Amino acid sequence: MRVTIISIPVLDQEKALRFYTEKLGFIKKLDTPLDGGNRWLTLVSPEAQDGPELLLEPAPLHFEPSKVFQDALMEAGIPYTQFDVDDVQKEYNRLIELGVEFSVKPTEMGTVKFAVLNDTCGNNIQLVQNL
Amino acid sequence: MTFYEKELARLNSAIYKNQRQLDAVIAVRHYINQHYPTDLNLDLLSETHCISKYHLLRLFKKYYGLTPRQYLIDKRIEKAKESLKTGKSVTETCFAVGFESVGSFSVLFKTKTGKSPSNFQKEQLSIRE
Repeated sequence: MRVTIISIPVLDQEKALRFYTEKLGFIKKLDTPLDGGNRWLTLVSPEAQDGPELLLEPAPLHFEPSKVFQDALMEAGIPYTQFDVDDVQKEYNRLIELGVEFSVKPTEMGTVKFAVLNDTCGNNIQLVQNL
Repeated sequence: MTFYEKELARLNSAIYKNQRQLDAVIAVRHYINQHYPTDLNLDLLSETHCISKYHLLRLFKKYYGLTPRQYLIDKRIEKAKESLKTGKSVTETCFAVGFESVGSFSVLFKTKTGKSPSNFQKEQLSIRE
């Protein structure tokens, strides 16, 4: 078995595609039309284009428990998932310039430094740097 | 303050209260990052950081979840991938990142990445074409 897909529930696939590519810097890999205007939409990291794909999944629009779970995580400030970066402070500065909102500014804790941003599609996303 | 931030604050005070230990393991990790191509071992790491090797082993595993040796191997494989992507040969890459035998490097690389170094390189170079 291999890990190839990590899914993120998003409220709007097109908006999420723009955010994750134009702001966060991911690259679109697969974009297959599905029923009802939905898409099988995956992204990869520019540094690991053969690595795991991020699936932008419209689950909250079609499955109420997914929306309830997503809303609960958002309200509690809990990240849905996290991405590794080399320098959290540098990414924070870059993304703030692009208008991205953070609920947690760069913070050191133990052996990591992290920050939490709002992906504008229903999720908190954590950026992590190993110290 | 959100629930998440409260939980982080609680965990921080429960798990990360010993700053001296944290400073020590972070320094060792940085040392490995800077010296991964050299002949690193636990004795050398413990001597250069004035910490007993068993204590270092325990602390590194506690804070990073893997041993210094495992971390070193992961770092070398990560750097080997970068080197192969630039088109350097498997042999050149092997020695540049600190491995001493092309045979054992190739086996380890395949175990860690699922691909032999040469196949990995072919795929990477074809992605860029």
